[in-house]
Amino acid sequence: MFTFSLSGLEIKASDSGPIEVEENETTARSAVYMVLGSFFAPPGDSHFDKAVNDHWEKEMTEAASLLPFEFDTGHPTIDEATSKEAYIGEYDRLFSSGDRLNLLVASQYSSDPENLMAQVKRDYEYFGLGGSESSERPIDHLASECDFLQYLCFKEAASPSPRLAGSYRRAQRDFLERHLISWVPDIVAKVTPLNPIKPYDWALSRLNDFIQADYAYIKALLGG
Amino acid sequence: METTNQYRKRWSWDRVTWGTHCLNCLATCSYRVYSRDGKVAFEEQGGTIAEIEAGVPDFNPLGCQKGSAWSLQLDGEDRITKPLRRVGERGSGKWEEITWDEALADIADSIIDAIDEDGPESVVFEESVEGGLMAQSPFLRLASLIGAVTLDAQGLVNDLPIGQHITFGKFSCASTVDDSFHSEVLLLWHANPAYTSIPYFHYITEARYKGAKVISIAPDYNASCVNADMYVPVKPGSDAALALSICQVLLEDGKVDLDFVKAQTDLPLLVRSDNLRFLRERDLVKGGSEEHFYFWDQTKEVVEVPRSTLDLGEIDPALHGPFKVALADGSEVEVFTVLDLIEKRLLDYTPELASAICGVSPETIRELALIIAGNKTKIIEGFNAPKYFHGDLMERSMCLLLALTGNWGKPGTGIQGLALAGLDGYLLFSMKTKQGVEETARLLDGIDASMEQLRQRDPEATDEMLGNQLLTLSTSAGTSAPPVFFNYNHVGYKESWNNSAWQEPTMTKSFSSYMEDALRRGWWGGVARPSAGMAPRVFFAVGTNPMRRARGGKRAILETLWPKLEKIVAVDIRMSSTALYADIVLPAAMQYERVNVQYPITHTLHLAFSDKAVEPKGEAKTEWEIFSALANKISERSVERDIVEFTDGRRLSRRLDTVGDSYTIGGAFQSDESVIDEWIRDSSDAGTLPPGTSVETLRTKGTIRFTGLGVFAPGLSVATDVKDDKVLTAFQWHVDKKLPFPTLTKRAQFYIDHPWFMDADEALPRHKDNPKMGGDYPFVLTSGHSRWTVHAVSMGNSAVLSTHRGQPLVVMGAKDALDLNIGEGTRVKVYNDHGSFIAMVKVAPRVRPNQLIIYNGFEPHMFEGWNGSNEVEPGMVKWLHLVGKYGHLRYLPFGWQPVPSDRAVSVGIMSVPDSQRIEESS
Repeated sequence: MFTFSLSGLEIKASDSGPIEVEENETTARSAVYMVLGSFFAPPGDSHFDKAVNDHWEKEMTEAASLLPFEFDTGHPTIDEATSKEAYIGEYDRLFSSGDRLNLLVASQYSSDPENLMAQVKRDYEYFGLGGSESSERPIDHLASECDFLQYLCFKEAASPSPRLAGSYRRAQRDFLERHLISWVPDIVAKVTPLNPIKPYDWALSRLNDFIQADYAYIKALLGG
Repeated sequence: METTNQYRKRWSWDRVTWGTHCLNCLATCSYRVYSRDGKVAFEEQGGTIAEIEAGVPDFNPLGCQKGSAWSLQLDGEDRITKPLRRVGERGSGKWEEITWDEALADIADSIIDAIDEDGPESVVFEESVEGGLMAQSPFLRLASLIGAVTLDAQGLVNDLPIGQHITFGKFSCASTVDDSFHSEVLLLWHANPAYTSIPYFHYITEARYKGAKVISIAPDYNASCVNADMYVPVKPGSDAALALSICQVLLEDGKVDLDFVKAQTDLPLLVRSDNLRFLRERDLVKGGSEEHFYFWDQTKEVVEVPRSTLDLGEIDPALHGPFKVALADGSEVEVFTVLDLIEKRLLDYTPELASAICGVSPETIRELALIIAGNKTKIIEGFNAPKYFHGDLMERSMCLLLALTGNWGKPGTGIQGLALAGLDGYLLFSMKTKQGVEETARLLDGIDASMEQLRQRDPEATDEMLGNQLLTLSTSAGTSAPPVFFNYNHVGYKESWNNSAWQEPTMTKSFSSYMEDALRRGWWGGVARPSAGMAPRVFFAVGTNPMRRARGGKRAILETLWPKLEKIVAVDIRMSSTALYADIVLPAAMQYERVNVQYPITHTLHLAFSDKAVEPKGEAKTEWEIFSALANKISERSVERDIVEFTDGRRLSRRLDTVGDSYTIGGAFQSDESVIDEWIRDSSDAGTLPPGTSVETLRTKGTIRFTGLGVFAPGLSVATDVKDDKVLTAFQWHVDKKLPFPTLTKRAQFYIDHPWFMDADEALPRHKDNPKMGGDYPFVLTSGHSRWTVHAVSMGNSAVLSTHRGQPLVVMGAKDALDLNIGEGTRVKVYNDHGSFIAMVKVAPRVRPNQLIIYNGFEPHMFEGWNGSNEVEPGMVKWLHLVGKYGHLRYLPFGWQPVPSDRAVSVGIMSVPDSQRIEESS
């Protein structure tokens, strides 16, 4: 059985739907977004531990096992010499160090950040979510957007109403189109020249490959 | 150099947004709005709509002079910028500025008093068709929460193509305007699109350039005639005679599309010769249905008319009788077809006979028949016909002409009148109890389930019919009420409607008798509200303007309704005539100062968005903000006053202390934008807008084409599929898919065998002279929309005012003017037994003898004594429109109901004694 797990977002609307469903192609997509969201959240102790113990690879491989399309999960093996401090420092170096703004936040890529935030907020609200009150993570953070897609996929799989399942499926395509597909390549373009250490390089390339493959898949599923 | 830079600076900007003008012109023109330093500098037409169908001109640029000058109105002298409370007599012009809190507390207390003492139906709102969806949704929401009555806008303004409803079972039958390009003949009939459809007029000239023949049929040589190939001058109110005469020629000459007539209409249906009613199943079988009808087939003889399809299969219905039919009781009866009866009737409308009625020469009538026969013909109608007392007969006759020539459901054909599309999200919003997609799916699934339940009961019904049934069911729980009962019981119309001298002479009893009969029979059960015993106490005009619009003028409104009202609240962008007579006036934000969407219509099939470019002027607020604050204030005051529970008009227990919270659904919808975004997302989810559409999409594109017509009745009535690469042609479901019409007979119905219609000899279309509404006077006063304003909204626009004389004027013919010694610019009194007004005369040879024209839009306060042109309009309604529960003749919100007429009221005209020329006096 599969269930969703949100960190930077939380359910705001009362939701009477099931909280777990049989694993299938859709939950596999949800699971991959869960792994990606978890990886790109600001790292804590477990982040490093997972890297050292190859748990990122295991989680990704397990998550992707039922995917309806080809996806190379890759090998995120960390260099043994990387210390925990260096590992965590790498996250800041790549995405928000010094005078660099946080590259993992969608509004950094928008000419109208205020409006973008309002739209993201409304996207979440329409599907019953909102920013978590216990999290300082901005709602347009990459991890939050992955969380959102994770939730949409789960809800598609769990929806008793075919109409509602269709709504969640269309929402995945629309959100990918308007958000991740439009700005993740920019992150990759900005961060790759910084020669990220493993497994950050792995995560970035898996993120980019996955959203492109998933977008193509969902578009085809919806008829273009 | 300095001058040059100053000029350049005038046209510089620091922000660009999309804007449209959410008005009852029903145009969806997208403008780019350029702002500088927080002020709108100027606007220009967007012109970004993509081509729809290859070879058909696109919609661009869409716009008119009113829209292009809209920004000037933001700082207009008639703007209301602060809440005002009357301190003198009503209409005295004495006001005090008050705070929003004071205003809302005052209004809230009045509402609570009214609810507590008399019940919530003593609180009455006029439904609006001005200001866009975000102007009307808020007050409808509050009205629903407090159990108030909202007066159906259609019964107030009357844009109801009621003859179309009688014929087709629906009143929104319009294609997109680009469909005109496919026409071979365009009949501008009851329409002056050069004035009223400026953004779309190019399709008429482009169709003509392509080879279409454009024919204007109108009493006066109006501005559209200049672009026509043929002008057919018709006497006011005689259009039915002209249409029927063309039909007579077509039938006589054998130029009728018989297959179309057999498949689409009731003309082959059998009618009993003894009682002139349709032959029904119950006539043939004991206990048979009242709603099953019959053809005569040459081989099978009496054959039941299929109810689930217009596909005749192997049936070849006879178009002419007589035949003998055996009845259930063993007797035999002779039957005719409806066409037999029509042909008999048309003997009264040979070109020679009709010419005497309508003033069009027999040769011209025959020529028209020749032009129309065999050609793709479209009638561009507008909303003029329904405003005649017998406008239904005119439209039924015009529809008959289209039927005989096979002219609907194919590109370039049909009748272009009311054009409602469906923005499902808007309609769903009022049902939502929480935000978001889950609720949307729950509601849509619920609608599907309800439709399925209805389908179980009526397996032959189409989605369109089920949509109507669902809408009918919903009226019992809604706030909407046809205003005819309010007007009869509480406004000053009863006396006028019972004035036999002003009424239709074929009425066999008084209007009151018909009214009582209709109510006694339960034809208007549940919607005849507020009842006669429920005096109105609080009255809201939100963007509406009854002092200007209401036929009957002061006599109806000021003398009868106003004294009953304890609180009159006007919410408006400008000081309208109604605001001048209100107790409290609340300033509303204008387009460009708020987000909004225009009414969804099929003319362009595009939803136009208007963004907030600048802050509202002064203390103006949006209607959402106003009614949200009022809802909160009602809750607050109800608790303070310990009046929290009440029983509504349907005996349901409700609470006032939760109104504020319910209004925003627990705070989920605090802003206008959050509401619109929900509508748009829900519409996208329901399939009426492209997937993934949100406010942001509209903010980026300005306008977006509908992808569907929705799951609700208004959109379904267009009966066609939306295709990405084709213009929208109404009624294709009926012609291509052979889906039946939502009428009693399931076909386009020209024979109404309701007893009242039969008594009035209106079972079939016919001509009737216009009643002498207002008395027996030599002139008839007609109207139409002017070029310069959308109703009264642009009347105060400085740029628009500068293009004309800016004062009310009556246009009269040159010969009449000469005969009466009335010159250009003369002050005249136009009068009848109902009232009078004074205006300036414009002499024009284009106006026919005994006709006067006053264009719509002048505010009463622009006239001397604030007596507007509605003072001479008794506001007569046609008694037959009280009929209910006859197949498709039953109340639908914004649809079938009695509507006030104002065209061709009888008037006299005279120079005002001791008058001076206007130019001199001013």
